Parts: sequence; C-alpha cells; structure tokens
Amino acid sequence: MSRESADLIKKTLFYLVLLVIVFYLLFPFYWAVNSSLKTEPQLSMTPATFVPRDPETGNLDFHFGNYKQVFSDAQFMRGLVNSTIVATCTTFLALLAGSFAAFALGKLRFKGKQPSLYIILAMTMFPQVTVLTGLYAVINTLNMGARLSMIITYLLFTLPFTTWVLTSFFSELPIEIMQSAQVDGATPFQTFRMILLPLTAPALVTTGLLSFIQAWNEYLFALTFTAIDVKARTVPVAIQLFSGEFARQEPFGAIMAAAVIVTIPIVVLVLVFQKKIVAGLTAGAVKG
Amino acid sequence: MSSGNLAREEQKLAYKLLIPAFLILITIAVYPLGQVFYTSFTDKTFATGREASFIGLENYKTLLSVTIKELPPVVDENTGEQKIGEDGQPVFERPIRVLPRRPELYRPVFEFSFFSNRFVVGAINPDFLTAVWNTIIFTVFSVFFETLIGLGIALVVNSEFKGRGAMRAVMLVPWAVITVVSARMWEWMFEPTRTGFFNMIFERMGVGDGNFSFLTTTELQLPSLIAVDVWKTTPFMALLILAGLQLIPNELYEAARVDGANKVKQFFSITLPLLKPSLAVALVFRTLDALRVFDIFQVLLSQKRYSMASYNYFQLIQARKMGLASAVGVIIFIVIFIFAVTYIKMLGVDTDE
Repeated sequence: MSRESADLIKKTLFYLVLLVIVFYLLFPFYWAVNSSLKTEPQLSMTPATFVPRDPETGNLDFHFGNYKQVFSDAQFMRGLVNSTIVATCTTFLALLAGSFAAFALGKLRFKGKQPSLYIILAMTMFPQVTVLTGLYAVINTLNMGARLSMIITYLLFTLPFTTWVLTSFFSELPIEIMQSAQVDGATPFQTFRMILLPLTAPALVTTGLLSFIQAWNEYLFALTFTAIDVKARTVPVAIQLFSGEFARQEPFGAIMAAAVIVTIPIVVLVLVFQKKIVAGLTAGAVKG
Repeated sequence: MSSGNLAREEQKLAYKLLIPAFLILITIAVYPLGQVFYTSFTDKTFATGREASFIGLENYKTLLSVTIKELPPVVDENTGEQKIGEDGQPVFERPIRVLPRRPELYRPVFEFSFFSNRFVVGAINPDFLTAVWNTIIFTVFSVFFETLIGLGIALVVNSEFKGRGAMRAVMLVPWAVITVVSARMWEWMFEPTRTGFFNMIFERMGVGDGNFSFLTTTELQLPSLIAVDVWKTTPFMALLILAGLQLIPNELYEAARVDGANKVKQFFSITLPLLKPSLAVALVFRTLDALRVFDIFQVLLSQKRYSMASYNYFQLIQARKMGLASAVGVIIFIVIFIFAVTYIKMLGVDTDE
C-alpha cells in the first residue's frame, strides 16, 4: 500500500470518528426539534419517524401548532419573564459584590488574604442542597417573596464563581497601572473604578454570561421556593409542570417545542461568546 | 503620606471591599448551615404552628439504623427438611417476620446469601439508604463514562483539522441545554412504546419488542439516568481536558517521535502523566457535582426512586419533616466532604498553587 492511500484511509477514519461524535452530541436536540414539528397523531405513530411525516401517505408534513400553543401558554411565558428577571438580577449582584472582592483579593495587600481566598474557593464547591432547609428558614424569617428569594439564594453559586474567576483576571493586570494612577494622586478605589474595572470588561462579560446561564438552569431552589407562589415559577419549573390541552397524557409535542425555544437563545449566546466561555469555564475549574 | 500609612489605607479598603461578598455568604451559606445542623436535632415540622422540641440524635437514628438478621429456613412438617419453593429454590422465612418491630419497625432493604444461609438487611428508613446507594452508583458510573468519553473527544478535537472551531461550538450545545430540558428531551426518547426513539431503534436492531419501559423497570432506571447525565456533561469534561492537552508542549511529542515511540506509547508516557493535574481537577468537580444530583432524578423518577438531594426535597416539601430533612442535609454534607478529602488526597491535587 502506498503512503498516500494509507494517509487517505487514516483521514477518512478520523472524519468518521468526528462524525460519530457530532451525531452523538447533536442527535437528542435534533430529535426534540423533529418531535416539536409533529402533531399529536404524528407523535403517536409507531415506529417513530426521523422527520415529521403524514400518518396516511408518508409524505413530509410539518406543523407549527406546538409552537403556537407554547407561546400562548400563560404559565410558560411568565416563566420566561421570571427567569429573565431572576437571572439578570443575580448576575448583576454577583458581578457587583464579586468584582469588589476580586479587586481586594487580586490587587490589594492585606492581612488574611490567603484564608479569604481559600474560603471563596471552598464556597465554589459548596453543595447547595445541604442548606435547603436552612435557607427556607432564613427566607421565612426575612419574609422574602419567591422571586427575591431566588435572586438572593442563587448568589450561593454565582458569587463564589465570579469572585474566583475575576480574582485571577485582576491579579494578571500589570501592577504598574495601579502605581502610575497612584502617582497621579488617585485613591485605590478611584483606580479600581476608573481604570481597572474598564480593563476587566471582557472578563465581566464572560463571568456574567456564565453565571446567567447557571441561574437560568437552576431547578432545586426554584422548585422549592415557588412551591406556594405559582406565579413566580421560572422556566425549568414551568417546563417540568407543563400541562397541555390533553389532560390524559403529557403533551410532549408542546414540551419539545418549549425545549427548543428556551435552548436556542442560550445556544446562540454560547456560540457568539464561544472562545470566552471556554476560557472562563476552564479558569473557573482548572484554577479552582 | 508615608508608605506605612498608605499600606494601612490599602488594607482598610480591602476589608471594606470584601464586606458585601462575605456578608452575603454568611447570610446564605454559613448561617443556614448552622441552622440546618441545629434543626437536625429537633422534630421541627414545616408550615405548621407546632412547637419544635429537641430530640437529640433521633433523626439520625431513623435515617441510619441498620440491622442484619439471619432468615431461618422454613421446615416442611412432613419431611423435616427445608421446603423447596416452586422455583426450585429453598424457602426461607419472610423478612418481615424476622426484623425487629419494636421500638421501631425495620423494613427490608435487600437480602443476600452467604454459603447456604440467607440474611436480610433491614432499616428503619430503607428509602434513604437506597437513595445514598443510588447516588453513589450514579456518581461512580456517570463520572467514569464522562471522563472516558470526554478524554476520547478531547484527544480527537486536539488534533489539527479543518472545522476545529465548528467542532468546539458543537461541543458546547449539550452543555447549554438546561438540565431539566435535557431530562425532558430524553424522557421523550425513552417512551415505553415505539413512539420513543430508543424503543424504535432497538426494535429495528432486533433487541426486545419495542416495549422497554426504561424509567419504570428497576434495572433500567439508573442506566437510563446515567446516559442522560453523560450526554449532558461529557462536553464540559472534554473542554476541561482539552484545555489541559493544550498546555502540553509540542516539542515533547517531537522528541518522542525522534526516539521512535509510537502513538500509544506517547499517550501513556507523555499525555496521561502531564494531563493528570487537569484530569484530577475535572474529576473532583464532576464528582462533587454528581453527588448532589437533583434535577434529572426529580424530573425522570420523582418519587419512584430518590437521589440524596431529591430525597431531601421530598422530606422537606412533601412530607414537611423539616427536622428529618435537615439531618439528610447534614449527612449529604458529610458524604460529600469525605469524597472531597479522599479524592484530593488520592489524586494529590496541589492546593498550594
């Protein structure tokens, strides 16, 4: 066998492996899209078809009824609004408190820096479920509404994460910037607000996006704290409790349509910020 | 201003800047954790006006009490020998008659044979112990497969080829899908008739009759859940490993090639040892994450089968036993703590960095 044909075989095999990986990663999502475009009779066809087909003739036959149903579902739409509010507020608070702490940990010299860093690091591994009952007690005592409860409690995982990642960004900024600002008579806080914070804008975007996704994804606290307050339910809870016009069985067509609707914006965001997200994820985990 | 003064100013500012973050963490982590420890020693109920009283270790006793009893053989009165059941197996006494009933009722968890004797393991609360067992099995298998497949994908993507950027984008898709949504997507693929993807495919391949009920058959429940979790989190694992791979200098491979080492040898003598730190961190993170699994258990199995976290949720919200749920929380904390410490010791993760 010539060297060239051996190379060709190698290359073909390689791309074949690649294809298998892509198929594995994308297929479940494809199946959801496929099912979301089917009507109830099409969904109950056996065997299930890889594209929506007419049960009688077998021709291609798409339907968008499920999407219409989802967009006119009050609970789901409210879920979208709630999720957006909760995730945005949590992210904002986490970035605010996190960038303050990160500036201190990354750039200032003070006693007790090492222990503070370790505490934050330990917090990133904190199992949220263990404090579920305790948090419930805190929320009851402070008499917080369900939305506010979620915003505050989500800081449990967003704040340590943003602090940790931003600390590493701050510590990589050259110290000369601070020194020259100090020579010009700026106080450390002025240096932080006017010079360092703008410099970390890309890092803020990345960590913000990641904590937004984490908050958007959260289920345990959302399910617990909205158990009584139905109107405050977020997307994951709404999708789990989705009920359709047909009470006898779960409306999987509509559920798949809802799944596609909530996934596409995140996938687009993720693809746009792809490189930054990968950097942020690996900084959060590899260094933490 | 003198430099000592400046340093003092800096220190003061640092403390001020740290106050908000630490205040928040004390309110939502430290104080609730203390509260959980305290409540776990009481019989507090949730959403009732009843006063809670201190009951010591009673909740822990309820959750963790285990006993092993031997099952005596059932003797046939006519022959004086042990009875043989219709299935050809010797018959033993029913566990419920052997396990203690006072002061607490013990219910059977599982039976096992040792030589020709048969034993039963009983517990006051079999659900919780099963939940711990489910969680550990789930964690071990899903982390194992995620690491294996993640390593495979990372190695493939790490080589030079056209469309590598696109490939990396594809890898982020399962990660970006909300966990509850991915559970729902798989739930639909797991449908117990041929309307579901898996039954359709298996039937076509000649495996089974197209009626596997993946989520109600006891033996298939955990493998199904592991499959969902592996799909969802393998890309994350792959990304972390990929980052580690890219830290390995190319010169090492070139030197190995000059020395005549083949790909397999290169993998075991260069890639794997140098990948160890990133692999270790990824493993710790994933394991701690898997141990607190809630979403997919709650969505796919709800009260059919519990993980530690979904059992905790059930006790708090459905059963309203705040004291017992708190004890569950404390036990989860301890289990995860033990895992974290042994892991870090075993893998030798360098914490000084």
